[in-house]
Amino acid sequence: MKLFSLLITGLLFAGLAQAEMRPFVSGSLQKIEREQKGKPFILAFWSASCTHCPAELKALGELVRKYPKLELILVAADTPAEVPELEQLAQGYGVASQARWVFADAQPERLRYEIDRRWYGELPRTYFYDGRQQRKGHSGVLPAEQLEQWVVEHVK
Amino acid sequence: MVGISARSTALLAALLLAGTVAAHDHADHGAVDAKPAPKGDYAKVWLEKQQTAPRLAIAAQFDAAGRLWLARVVGQQIFVSHSSDTGKTFSEAVTVNRQPELISADGEARPQIGVVGQRVYVSWTQALPQPFAGHIRFSVSEDGGQSFSDPITINDDSRPITHRFNAMLADARGVTLAWIDKRDGAGNPEYRGAAIYTARSTDGGRSFETNRNLANHSCECCRLGMAADSDGMTVVFWRQIFGKNVRDFALARLDEPLRRVSEDGWEIDACPHHGGALAIDREGGRHIAWFTGAEKSPGLHYRRIDGETMSRPLRFGNLDAQSGHPQVAVVGRNVVLVWREFDGKFNHIRLMLSRDRGQNWSAPSSIARTAGAADDPLLLTDKGTPWLVWNTAVDGLKRSRIAP
Repeated sequence: MKLFSLLITGLLFAGLAQAEMRPFVSGSLQKIEREQKGKPFILAFWSASCTHCPAELKALGELVRKYPKLELILVAADTPAEVPELEQLAQGYGVASQARWVFADAQPERLRYEIDRRWYGELPRTYFYDGRQQRKGHSGVLPAEQLEQWVVEHVK
Repeated sequence: MVGISARSTALLAALLLAGTVAAHDHADHGAVDAKPAPKGDYAKVWLEKQQTAPRLAIAAQFDAAGRLWLARVVGQQIFVSHSSDTGKTFSEAVTVNRQPELISADGEARPQIGVVGQRVYVSWTQALPQPFAGHIRFSVSEDGGQSFSDPITINDDSRPITHRFNAMLADARGVTLAWIDKRDGAGNPEYRGAAIYTARSTDGGRSFETNRNLANHSCECCRLGMAADSDGMTVVFWRQIFGKNVRDFALARLDEPLRRVSEDGWEIDACPHHGGALAIDREGGRHIAWFTGAEKSPGLHYRRIDGETMSRPLRFGNLDAQSGHPQVAVVGRNVVLVWREFDGKFNHIRLMLSRDRGQNWSAPSSIARTAGAADDPLLLTDKGTPWLVWNTAVDGLKRSRIAP
Protein backbone atom coordinates (compact mmCIF):
# COMPACT_ATOMS: atom_id res chain seq x y z
CA MET A 1 0.00 0.00 0.00
CA LYS A 2 2.92 2.30 0.72
CA LEU A 3 4.15 1.77 -2.79
CA PHE A 4 0.67 2.49 -4.05
CA SER A 5 0.52 5.82 -2.17
CA LEU A 6 3.88 6.75 -3.60
CA LEU A 7 2.61 5.91 -7.03
CA ILE A 8 -0.47 8.08 -6.50
CA THR A 9 1.65 10.96 -5.27
CA GLY A 10 3.92 10.59 -8.26
CA LEU A 11 1.03 10.51 -10.69
CA LEU A 12 -0.61 13.46 -9.00
CA PHE A 13 2.54 15.47 -9.41
CA ALA A 14 2.68 14.46 -13.02
CA GLY A 15 -0.95 15.59 -13.26
CA LEU A 16 -0.10 18.93 -11.70
CA ALA A 17 2.77 19.55 -14.07
CA GLN A 18 0.77 18.53 -17.10
CA ALA A 19 -2.22 20.62 -16.18
CA GLU A 20 -0.22 23.78 -16.81
CA MET A 21 -0.10 23.07 -20.52
CA ARG A 22 -3.39 23.41 -22.26
CA PRO A 23 -4.46 21.79 -25.51
CA PHE A 24 -4.09 24.16 -28.47
CA VAL A 25 -6.89 23.22 -30.82
CA SER A 26 -8.89 24.75 -33.66
CA GLY A 27 -10.06 28.12 -32.38
CA SER A 28 -7.37 28.51 -29.70
CA LEU A 29 -5.56 31.24 -31.61
CA GLN A 30 -8.74 33.32 -31.91
CA LYS A 31 -9.32 32.78 -28.20
CA ILE A 32 -5.83 33.99 -27.32
CA GLU A 33 -6.15 36.98 -29.66
CA ARG A 34 -9.54 37.88 -28.20
CA GLU A 35 -8.24 37.71 -24.67
CA GLN A 36 -5.16 39.75 -25.50
CA LYS A 37 -7.07 42.31 -27.54
CA GLY A 38 -5.55 45.77 -27.34
CA LYS A 39 -2.44 44.51 -25.56
CA PRO A 40 0.93 43.92 -27.18
CA PHE A 41 2.22 40.38 -26.69
CA ILE A 42 4.59 37.78 -28.07
CA LEU A 43 3.24 34.46 -29.30
CA ALA A 44 6.10 31.98 -29.67
CA PHE A 45 5.93 28.53 -31.23
CA TRP A 46 8.55 25.96 -30.31
CA SER A 47 9.08 22.22 -30.08
CA ALA A 48 10.94 19.63 -28.07
CA SER A 49 12.54 18.45 -31.32
CA CYS A 50 13.78 21.90 -32.40
CA THR A 51 17.48 22.35 -31.74
CA HIS A 52 17.32 26.13 -32.15
CA CYS A 53 14.43 26.67 -29.77
CA PRO A 54 16.42 26.56 -26.50
CA ALA A 55 18.32 29.73 -27.47
CA GLU A 56 15.11 31.57 -28.35
CA LEU A 57 13.24 30.42 -25.24
CA LYS A 58 16.10 31.29 -22.90
CA ALA A 59 16.27 34.79 -24.38
CA LEU A 60 12.51 35.23 -24.02
CA GLY A 61 12.66 33.95 -20.43
CA GLU A 62 15.34 36.56 -19.63
CA LEU A 63 13.12 39.26 -21.08
CA VAL A 64 10.12 38.26 -19.00
CA ARG A 65 12.25 38.47 -15.87
CA LYS A 66 13.57 41.89 -16.89
CA TYR A 67 10.18 43.18 -18.07
CA PRO A 68 7.52 41.47 -15.91
CA LYS A 69 4.78 43.27 -17.85
CA LEU A 70 5.71 41.47 -21.05
CA GLU A 71 2.99 39.04 -22.10
CA LEU A 72 4.62 35.94 -23.51
CA ILE A 73 2.52 33.03 -24.70
CA LEU A 74 4.28 29.83 -25.68
CA VAL A 75 2.81 27.13 -27.87
CA ALA A 76 4.63 23.85 -28.36
CA ALA A 77 4.02 22.41 -31.82
CA ASP A 78 4.39 18.84 -30.53
CA THR A 79 1.61 16.64 -29.18
CA PRO A 80 0.18 16.24 -25.68
CA ALA A 81 2.10 12.95 -25.47
CA GLU A 82 5.25 15.05 -25.09
CA VAL A 83 3.88 17.22 -22.26
CA PRO A 84 6.11 15.79 -19.49
CA GLU A 85 9.20 16.35 -21.66
CA LEU A 86 8.01 19.82 -22.68
CA GLU A 87 7.40 20.81 -19.06
CA GLN A 88 10.88 19.68 -18.15
CA LEU A 89 12.47 21.56 -21.05
CA ALA A 90 10.48 24.73 -20.31
CA GLN A 91 11.69 24.54 -16.71
CA GLY A 92 15.28 24.27 -17.91
CA TYR A 93 14.87 27.24 -20.26
CA GLY A 94 13.35 29.37 -17.50
CA VAL A 95 9.93 29.73 -19.12
CA ALA A 96 7.95 27.16 -17.13
CA SER A 97 5.25 29.65 -16.13
CA GLN A 98 4.79 30.70 -19.76
CA ALA A 99 4.65 27.19 -21.21
CA ARG A 100 0.92 27.24 -21.61
CA TRP A 101 -0.16 25.45 -24.74
CA VAL A 102 0.60 22.37 -26.75
CA PHE A 103 -0.74 21.40 -30.19
CA ALA A 104 -3.53 18.87 -29.66
CA ASP A 105 -4.79 17.98 -33.12
CA ALA A 106 -3.96 14.83 -35.05
CA GLN A 107 -3.68 17.21 -38.00
CA PRO A 108 -1.17 19.90 -37.06
CA GLU A 109 -1.60 21.22 -40.63
CA ARG A 110 -5.11 22.28 -39.60
CA LEU A 111 -3.70 24.38 -36.76
CA ARG A 112 -0.99 25.90 -38.94
CA TYR A 113 -3.63 26.73 -41.53
CA GLU A 114 -5.49 28.76 -38.91
CA ILE A 115 -2.39 30.36 -37.44
CA ASP A 116 -0.66 31.44 -40.64
CA ARG A 117 -0.95 29.96 -44.10
CA ARG A 118 2.54 31.17 -44.90
CA TRP A 119 4.18 29.43 -41.96
CA TYR A 120 5.76 26.26 -43.28
CA GLY A 121 6.38 24.60 -39.92
CA GLU A 122 9.91 25.86 -39.28
CA LEU A 123 10.75 26.58 -35.63
CA PRO A 124 11.13 28.71 -33.63
CA ARG A 125 8.34 30.83 -35.12
CA THR A 126 7.53 34.06 -33.27
CA TYR A 127 4.69 36.54 -33.71
CA PHE A 128 4.80 40.06 -32.36
CA TYR A 129 1.36 41.54 -31.74
CA ASP A 130 1.48 45.30 -31.47
CA GLY A 131 -1.84 45.69 -29.64
CA ARG A 132 -3.40 47.42 -32.66
CA GLN A 133 -4.52 44.28 -34.50
CA GLN A 134 -1.24 44.03 -36.39
CA ARG A 135 1.18 41.17 -36.04
CA LYS A 136 4.57 40.40 -37.53
CA GLY A 137 5.88 36.86 -37.90
CA HIS A 138 9.50 35.79 -37.76
CA SER A 139 11.14 32.40 -38.29
CA GLY A 140 14.34 31.46 -36.52
CA VAL A 141 16.24 32.67 -33.48
CA LEU A 142 16.15 36.45 -33.08
CA PRO A 143 19.08 38.40 -31.65
CA ALA A 144 18.42 39.26 -27.99
CA GLU A 145 18.84 43.01 -28.72
CA GLN A 146 16.14 42.87 -31.36
CA LEU A 147 13.75 41.14 -28.97
CA GLU A 148 14.48 43.65 -26.23
CA GLN A 149 14.02 46.57 -28.61
CA TRP A 150 10.52 45.36 -29.44
CA VAL A 151 9.70 45.03 -25.76
CA VAL A 152 11.00 48.51 -24.96
CA GLU A 153 8.93 49.99 -27.80
CA HIS A 154 5.70 48.13 -27.08
CA VAL A 155 5.47 47.14 -23.41
CA LYS A 156 4.78 50.11 -21.18
CA MET B 1 -0.34 0.38 -13.47
CA VAL B 2 0.43 -3.30 -13.69
CA GLY B 3 -0.74 -5.16 -10.61
CA ILE B 4 -3.20 -2.54 -9.45
CA SER B 5 -6.80 -3.60 -9.17
CA ALA B 6 -9.57 -2.08 -11.24
CA ARG B 7 -10.92 -0.32 -8.19
CA SER B 8 -7.58 1.21 -7.37
CA THR B 9 -7.29 2.34 -10.96
CA ALA B 10 -10.66 4.09 -10.75
CA LEU B 11 -9.55 5.78 -7.56
CA LEU B 12 -6.35 6.80 -9.21
CA ALA B 13 -8.21 8.23 -12.17
CA ALA B 14 -10.48 10.22 -9.87
CA LEU B 15 -7.52 11.58 -7.96
CA LEU B 16 -5.76 12.47 -11.17
CA LEU B 17 -8.78 14.33 -12.41
CA ALA B 18 -9.03 16.19 -9.13
CA GLY B 19 -5.36 17.04 -9.36
CA THR B 20 -5.82 18.36 -12.85
CA VAL B 21 -8.72 20.62 -11.93
CA ALA B 22 -7.00 21.93 -8.82
CA ALA B 23 -3.86 22.66 -10.75
CA HIS B 24 -5.82 24.74 -13.22
CA ASP B 25 -7.19 26.87 -10.43
CA HIS B 26 -3.68 27.59 -9.26
CA ALA B 27 -1.86 27.75 -12.52
CA ASP B 28 -3.98 30.27 -14.32
CA HIS B 29 -2.86 33.51 -12.83
CA GLY B 30 -1.77 34.97 -16.15
CA ALA B 31 -3.59 37.19 -18.59
CA VAL B 32 -5.16 34.41 -20.60
CA ASP B 33 -8.22 33.03 -18.87
CA ALA B 34 -8.33 29.36 -18.13
CA LYS B 35 -9.84 27.06 -20.65
CA PRO B 36 -12.21 24.71 -18.87
CA ALA B 37 -10.20 21.84 -17.44
CA PRO B 38 -9.98 19.09 -20.02
CA LYS B 39 -12.07 16.04 -19.29
CA GLY B 40 -9.61 13.61 -17.82
CA ASP B 41 -5.95 14.00 -18.54
CA TYR B 42 -5.65 14.74 -22.26
CA ALA B 43 -1.89 14.37 -22.23
CA LYS B 44 -2.19 10.90 -20.80
CA VAL B 45 -4.81 9.97 -23.36
CA TRP B 46 -2.53 11.11 -26.18
CA LEU B 47 0.40 9.22 -24.75
CA GLU B 48 -1.65 6.04 -24.49
CA LYS B 49 -2.84 6.48 -28.06
CA GLN B 50 0.71 6.98 -29.27
CA GLN B 51 1.79 3.87 -27.40
CA THR B 52 -0.93 1.64 -28.79
CA ALA B 53 -2.17 2.93 -32.16
CA PRO B 54 -0.18 2.31 -35.35
CA ARG B 55 1.87 5.37 -36.26
CA LEU B 56 1.14 7.12 -39.54
CA ALA B 57 4.78 7.30 -40.67
CA ILE B 58 5.51 4.10 -42.59
CA ALA B 59 8.13 2.72 -44.95
CA ALA B 60 7.27 0.84 -48.13
CA GLN B 61 9.07 -0.71 -51.10
CA PHE B 62 8.31 -3.01 -54.04
CA ASP B 63 10.58 -6.02 -54.50
CA ALA B 64 11.70 -7.34 -57.88
CA ALA B 65 8.72 -9.70 -58.00
CA GLY B 66 6.27 -6.85 -57.57
CA ARG B 67 5.37 -7.56 -53.96
CA LEU B 68 4.75 -4.47 -51.84
CA TRP B 69 6.62 -4.49 -48.53
CA LEU B 70 5.53 -2.41 -45.60
CA ALA B 71 7.16 -1.50 -42.29
CA ARG B 72 5.01 0.14 -39.66
CA VAL B 73 5.48 1.13 -36.04
CA VAL B 74 3.02 0.14 -33.35
CA GLY B 75 3.99 1.17 -29.85
CA GLN B 76 7.68 0.42 -29.43
CA GLN B 77 7.98 -2.20 -32.15
CA ILE B 78 8.34 -2.35 -35.92
CA PHE B 79 6.32 -4.84 -37.93
CA VAL B 80 6.96 -5.93 -41.51
CA SER B 81 4.44 -7.45 -43.87
CA HIS B 82 4.06 -7.79 -47.63
CA SER B 83 1.30 -7.76 -50.19
CA SER B 84 1.00 -9.67 -53.46
CA ASP B 85 -1.97 -7.58 -54.64
CA THR B 86 -0.33 -4.13 -54.45
CA GLY B 87 -1.58 -3.38 -50.98
CA LYS B 88 -5.15 -4.66 -50.89
CA THR B 89 -4.26 -7.45 -48.46
CA PHE B 90 -1.11 -8.00 -46.43
CA SER B 91 0.60 -11.05 -44.97
CA GLU B 92 0.65 -11.51 -41.22
CA ALA B 93 3.05 -8.95 -39.77
CA VAL B 94 6.41 -10.13 -38.44
CA THR B 95 8.03 -8.35 -35.48
CA VAL B 96 11.41 -6.83 -36.26
CA ASN B 97 12.57 -5.78 -32.77
CA ARG B 98 11.31 -8.30 -30.27
CA GLN B 99 12.71 -6.12 -27.46
CA PRO B 100 10.55 -2.95 -27.43
CA GLU B 101 12.28 0.42 -27.71
CA LEU B 102 11.26 4.03 -28.44
CA ILE B 103 11.11 4.46 -32.22
CA SER B 104 11.02 7.77 -34.09
CA ALA B 105 8.08 7.63 -36.49
CA ASP B 106 6.74 10.94 -37.66
CA GLY B 107 7.12 13.18 -40.68
CA GLU B 108 10.81 13.53 -41.41
CA ALA B 109 11.99 10.80 -39.00
CA ARG B 110 10.75 7.39 -39.98
CA PRO B 111 11.79 3.76 -40.44
CA GLN B 112 13.23 2.63 -43.77
CA ILE B 113 12.86 -0.66 -45.60
CA GLY B 114 14.84 -2.19 -48.48
CA VAL B 115 14.26 -5.55 -50.15
CA VAL B 116 16.78 -7.40 -52.32
CA GLY B 117 16.04 -11.02 -53.08
CA GLN B 118 15.44 -12.88 -49.82
CA ARG B 119 16.97 -10.07 -47.78
CA VAL B 120 14.74 -7.53 -46.07
CA TYR B 121 16.63 -4.63 -44.49
CA VAL B 122 15.00 -2.41 -41.88
CA SER B 123 16.48 0.64 -40.20
CA TRP B 124 15.10 3.14 -37.73
CA THR B 125 16.10 5.69 -35.13
CA GLN B 126 15.80 4.72 -31.50
CA ALA B 127 14.78 7.84 -29.57
CA LEU B 128 16.69 8.39 -26.32
CA PRO B 129 15.43 10.29 -23.27
CA GLN B 130 18.01 13.05 -23.80
CA PRO B 131 16.79 15.90 -26.05
CA PHE B 132 17.59 15.42 -29.78
CA ALA B 133 19.36 12.13 -29.02
CA GLY B 134 19.06 8.80 -30.78
CA HIS B 135 20.77 5.71 -32.12
CA ILE B 136 20.65 4.39 -35.68
CA ARG B 137 19.29 0.86 -35.51
CA PHE B 138 19.33 -1.91 -38.08
CA SER B 139 17.97 -5.41 -38.53
CA VAL B 140 17.96 -7.78 -41.49
CA SER B 141 15.92 -10.80 -42.50
CA GLU B 142 17.69 -13.40 -44.62
CA ASP B 143 14.65 -15.59 -45.10
CA GLY B 144 12.27 -13.37 -47.03
CA GLY B 145 10.91 -11.54 -44.01
CA GLN B 146 9.97 -14.57 -41.92
CA SER B 147 12.37 -13.67 -39.12
CA PHE B 148 14.67 -10.75 -38.31
CA SER B 149 18.13 -10.53 -36.76
CA ASP B 150 18.58 -8.95 -33.34
CA PRO B 151 18.82 -5.20 -33.97
CA ILE B 152 22.25 -3.61 -33.89
CA THR B 153 23.30 0.00 -33.39
CA ILE B 154 25.07 1.32 -36.47
CA ASN B 155 26.58 4.53 -35.09
CA ASP B 156 29.92 3.62 -33.52
CA ASP B 157 29.80 6.69 -31.31
CA SER B 158 27.57 5.53 -28.47
CA ARG B 159 27.09 8.77 -26.55
CA PRO B 160 23.47 9.84 -25.98
CA ILE B 161 23.60 12.62 -28.60
CA THR B 162 22.11 13.15 -32.07
CA HIS B 163 22.39 10.15 -34.38
CA ARG B 164 19.06 10.49 -36.13
CA PHE B 165 17.16 10.75 -39.43
CA ASN B 166 18.25 7.39 -40.78
CA ALA B 167 18.19 6.93 -44.54
CA MET B 168 18.97 3.63 -46.26
CA LEU B 169 19.68 2.36 -49.74
CA ALA B 170 19.94 -1.35 -50.53
CA ASP B 171 21.37 -2.75 -53.75
CA ALA B 172 22.58 -6.07 -55.09
CA ARG B 173 26.00 -5.50 -53.52
CA GLY B 174 24.87 -4.51 -50.06
CA VAL B 175 23.24 -1.78 -48.06
CA THR B 176 24.27 1.76 -47.12
CA LEU B 177 22.93 3.82 -44.25
CA ALA B 178 23.27 7.57 -43.86
CA TRP B 179 22.19 9.76 -40.96
CA ILE B 180 22.63 13.05 -39.14
CA ASP B 181 25.28 12.85 -36.44
CA LYS B 182 26.44 15.42 -33.89
CA ARG B 183 29.53 13.61 -32.58
CA ASP B 184 31.94 16.13 -34.10
CA GLY B 185 30.15 19.05 -32.52
CA ALA B 186 29.64 17.55 -29.06
CA GLY B 187 31.18 19.91 -26.52
CA ASN B 188 32.19 22.36 -29.24
CA PRO B 189 29.76 25.27 -29.44
CA GLU B 190 31.70 26.69 -32.41
CA TYR B 191 30.79 23.71 -34.58
CA ARG B 192 27.94 24.61 -36.93
CA GLY B 193 25.09 22.11 -37.19
CA ALA B 194 25.71 18.40 -37.43
CA ALA B 195 27.46 16.01 -39.84
CA ILE B 196 26.34 13.43 -42.36
CA TYR B 197 27.68 10.00 -41.46
CA THR B 198 27.43 6.81 -43.50
CA ALA B 199 28.05 3.12 -42.96
CA ARG B 200 28.13 0.42 -45.61
CA SER B 201 27.73 -3.34 -45.48
CA THR B 202 28.90 -5.54 -48.32
CA ASP B 203 27.89 -8.84 -46.72
CA GLY B 204 24.15 -8.40 -46.71
CA GLY B 205 23.93 -6.51 -43.44
CA ARG B 206 25.86 -9.00 -41.28
CA SER B 207 28.61 -6.50 -40.62
CA PHE B 208 29.27 -2.84 -41.38
CA GLU B 209 32.39 -0.93 -42.29
CA THR B 210 33.54 1.78 -39.88
CA ASN B 211 31.32 4.87 -39.75
CA ARG B 212 32.44 7.56 -42.12
CA ASN B 213 32.00 11.33 -41.99
CA LEU B 214 30.69 12.27 -45.43
CA ALA B 215 30.29 15.99 -44.73
CA ASN B 216 30.45 18.45 -41.86
CA HIS B 217 27.89 21.17 -41.05
CA SER B 218 24.62 19.65 -42.13
CA CYS B 219 21.32 21.07 -40.94
CA GLU B 220 20.07 19.15 -37.87
CA CYS B 221 16.55 17.93 -38.48
CA CYS B 222 15.65 17.30 -42.12
CA ARG B 223 15.32 13.89 -43.75
CA LEU B 224 18.07 12.82 -46.15
CA GLY B 225 17.51 11.81 -49.78
CA MET B 226 19.41 8.82 -51.18
CA ALA B 227 19.69 7.24 -54.62
CA ALA B 228 22.09 5.09 -56.64
CA ASP B 229 24.18 6.78 -59.33
CA SER B 230 24.23 5.29 -62.84
CA ASP B 231 27.35 3.30 -61.86
CA GLY B 232 25.75 2.06 -58.61
CA MET B 233 27.55 4.42 -56.24
CA THR B 234 25.35 5.82 -53.46
CA VAL B 235 24.50 9.52 -53.61
CA VAL B 236 23.17 11.47 -50.60
CA PHE B 237 21.14 14.70 -50.75
CA TRP B 238 20.60 16.87 -47.67
CA ARG B 239 20.13 20.33 -46.24
CA GLN B 240 23.54 21.79 -45.48
CA ILE B 241 24.65 24.88 -43.59
CA PHE B 242 26.68 27.10 -45.91
CA GLY B 243 28.63 29.97 -44.36
CA LYS B 244 27.26 31.00 -40.99
CA ASN B 245 23.66 29.83 -41.31
CA VAL B 246 22.47 29.56 -44.92
CA ARG B 247 20.44 26.34 -45.07
CA ASP B 248 20.48 25.27 -48.72
CA PHE B 249 20.97 21.83 -50.24
CA ALA B 250 24.06 19.75 -50.95
CA LEU B 251 24.62 16.48 -52.74
CA ALA B 252 27.54 14.06 -52.61
CA ARG B 253 28.54 10.69 -53.96
CA LEU B 254 30.15 8.63 -51.24
CA ASP B 255 33.45 8.91 -53.13
CA GLU B 256 33.34 12.65 -53.87
CA PRO B 257 33.22 15.88 -51.87
CA LEU B 258 29.89 17.63 -51.46
CA ARG B 259 28.52 20.00 -54.01
CA ARG B 260 26.05 22.80 -53.40
CA VAL B 261 22.94 22.28 -55.53
CA SER B 262 20.56 25.05 -54.42
CA GLU B 263 21.29 28.76 -54.05
CA ASP B 264 18.14 29.95 -52.33
CA GLY B 265 20.06 31.69 -49.58
CA TRP B 266 17.74 30.65 -46.76
CA GLU B 267 19.59 32.30 -43.92
CA ILE B 268 17.96 31.21 -40.72
CA ASP B 269 18.68 29.83 -37.26
CA ALA B 270 15.76 27.47 -37.25
CA CYS B 271 14.76 23.87 -37.79
CA PRO B 272 12.89 23.65 -41.10
CA HIS B 273 11.93 19.99 -40.50
CA HIS B 274 11.75 19.78 -44.27
CA GLY B 275 14.23 17.79 -46.31
CA GLY B 276 14.43 17.00 -50.00
CA ALA B 277 14.12 14.13 -52.45
CA LEU B 278 16.56 12.73 -55.01
CA ALA B 279 16.19 10.43 -58.02
CA ILE B 280 18.88 9.60 -60.57
CA ASP B 281 18.21 8.58 -64.18
CA ARG B 282 20.14 6.14 -66.38
CA GLU B 283 22.25 8.94 -67.81
CA GLY B 284 23.29 10.02 -64.33
CA GLY B 285 21.04 13.08 -64.33
CA ARG B 286 20.15 14.04 -60.77
CA HIS B 287 16.54 15.11 -60.25
CA ILE B 288 16.07 16.95 -57.00
CA ALA B 289 13.02 18.40 -55.25
CA TRP B 290 13.30 20.53 -52.14
CA PHE B 291 11.72 23.16 -49.95
CA THR B 292 13.07 26.56 -49.03
CA GLY B 293 11.64 29.37 -46.93
CA ALA B 294 13.99 31.95 -48.49
CA GLU B 295 12.10 35.20 -48.97
CA LYS B 296 13.00 35.70 -52.63
CA SER B 297 11.36 32.42 -53.68
CA PRO B 298 9.73 30.42 -50.89
CA GLY B 299 8.24 26.99 -51.51
CA LEU B 300 8.99 23.79 -53.37
CA HIS B 301 11.50 23.63 -56.21
CA TYR B 302 12.71 21.11 -58.76
CA ARG B 303 15.86 21.05 -60.84
CA ARG B 304 17.93 18.60 -62.86
CA ILE B 305 21.69 18.36 -62.65
CA ASP B 306 23.70 16.93 -65.59
CA GLY B 307 27.39 16.97 -64.78
CA GLU B 308 28.29 20.62 -64.23
CA THR B 309 25.02 21.90 -65.64
CA MET B 310 22.09 22.66 -63.37
CA SER B 311 18.67 23.61 -64.76
CA ARG B 312 16.99 26.75 -63.50
CA PRO B 313 14.93 25.84 -60.38
CA LEU B 314 11.24 25.33 -61.16
CA ARG B 315 8.93 26.48 -58.40
CA PHE B 316 5.83 24.33 -57.84
CA GLY B 317 3.04 23.83 -55.32
CA ASN B 318 0.52 26.18 -53.74
CA LEU B 319 2.18 28.23 -51.02
CA ASP B 320 -1.13 28.99 -49.34
CA ALA B 321 -1.85 25.28 -49.01
CA GLN B 322 1.33 24.36 -47.10
CA SER B 323 2.75 22.59 -50.17
CA GLY B 324 5.55 20.42 -48.88
CA HIS B 325 7.33 17.11 -48.38
CA PRO B 326 7.97 16.30 -52.05
CA GLN B 327 9.04 13.01 -53.58
CA VAL B 328 10.56 12.51 -57.02
CA ALA B 329 10.86 9.38 -59.16
CA VAL B 330 12.36 8.84 -62.58
CA VAL B 331 11.57 6.07 -65.08
CA GLY B 332 13.39 6.42 -68.38
CA ARG B 333 12.73 9.98 -69.55
CA ASN B 334 9.61 10.30 -67.36
CA VAL B 335 9.89 12.24 -64.14
CA VAL B 336 7.19 12.22 -61.45
CA LEU B 337 6.78 14.76 -58.67
CA VAL B 338 4.33 14.34 -55.80
CA TRP B 339 3.87 16.47 -52.71
CA ARG B 340 1.27 17.19 -50.07
CA GLU B 341 -1.06 20.15 -49.68
CA PHE B 342 -3.80 21.06 -47.21
CA ASP B 343 -6.76 23.14 -48.41
CA GLY B 344 -8.25 23.81 -45.00
CA LYS B 345 -10.39 20.69 -45.16
CA PHE B 346 -8.59 17.92 -47.05
CA ASN B 347 -5.03 16.73 -47.29
CA HIS B 348 -4.19 16.26 -50.96
CA ILE B 349 -1.40 14.57 -52.83
CA ARG B 350 -0.59 16.66 -55.86
CA LEU B 351 1.16 15.34 -58.94
CA MET B 352 3.14 16.74 -61.87
CA LEU B 353 4.57 14.69 -64.74
CA SER B 354 7.32 15.31 -67.24
CA ARG B 355 8.06 13.15 -70.27
CA ASP B 356 11.30 14.85 -71.25
CA ARG B 357 13.59 14.55 -68.24
CA GLY B 358 12.03 17.47 -66.40
CA GLN B 359 12.01 20.16 -69.10
CA ASN B 360 8.24 20.40 -69.59
CA TRP B 361 5.65 19.53 -66.99
CA SER B 362 1.94 18.75 -66.82
CA ALA B 363 -0.30 21.06 -64.82
CA PRO B 364 -0.52 19.93 -61.17
CA SER B 365 -3.46 17.70 -60.30
CA SER B 366 -4.74 15.97 -57.16
CA ILE B 367 -4.35 12.20 -57.28
CA ALA B 368 -5.51 11.42 -53.74
CA ARG B 369 -7.12 13.19 -50.84
CA THR B 370 -8.23 12.39 -47.32
CA ALA B 371 -10.30 14.18 -44.71
CA GLY B 372 -8.16 13.17 -41.74
CA ALA B 373 -4.55 13.03 -40.65
CA ALA B 374 -2.04 11.77 -43.19
CA ASP B 375 1.54 10.69 -43.57
CA ASP B 376 3.83 12.34 -46.10
CA PRO B 377 3.58 10.69 -49.54
CA LEU B 378 5.84 7.83 -50.59
CA LEU B 379 6.69 7.43 -54.27
CA LEU B 380 7.76 3.90 -55.25
CA THR B 381 8.45 2.12 -58.50
CA ASP B 382 7.28 -1.36 -59.38
CA LYS B 383 9.11 -2.72 -62.41
CA GLY B 384 9.24 0.67 -64.05
CA THR B 385 5.81 1.89 -62.97
CA PRO B 386 5.60 4.65 -60.38
CA TRP B 387 3.17 4.22 -57.49
CA LEU B 388 1.97 6.63 -54.87
CA VAL B 389 1.69 4.92 -51.47
CA TRP B 390 0.12 7.15 -48.86
CA ASN B 391 -0.85 6.24 -45.33
CA THR B 392 -3.92 8.01 -43.96
CA ALA B 393 -5.77 7.84 -40.65
CA VAL B 394 -9.27 7.68 -42.10
CA ASP B 395 -8.85 5.92 -45.46
CA GLY B 396 -6.01 3.56 -44.55
CA LEU B 397 -3.16 2.86 -46.94
CA LYS B 398 -3.96 4.54 -50.25
CA ARG B 399 -2.20 3.36 -53.39
CA SER B 400 -2.33 4.87 -56.87
CA ARG B 401 -0.60 3.64 -59.96
CA ILE B 402 0.74 6.64 -61.80
CA ALA B 403 0.12 6.25 -65.51
CA PRO B 404 2.94 7.58 -67.67
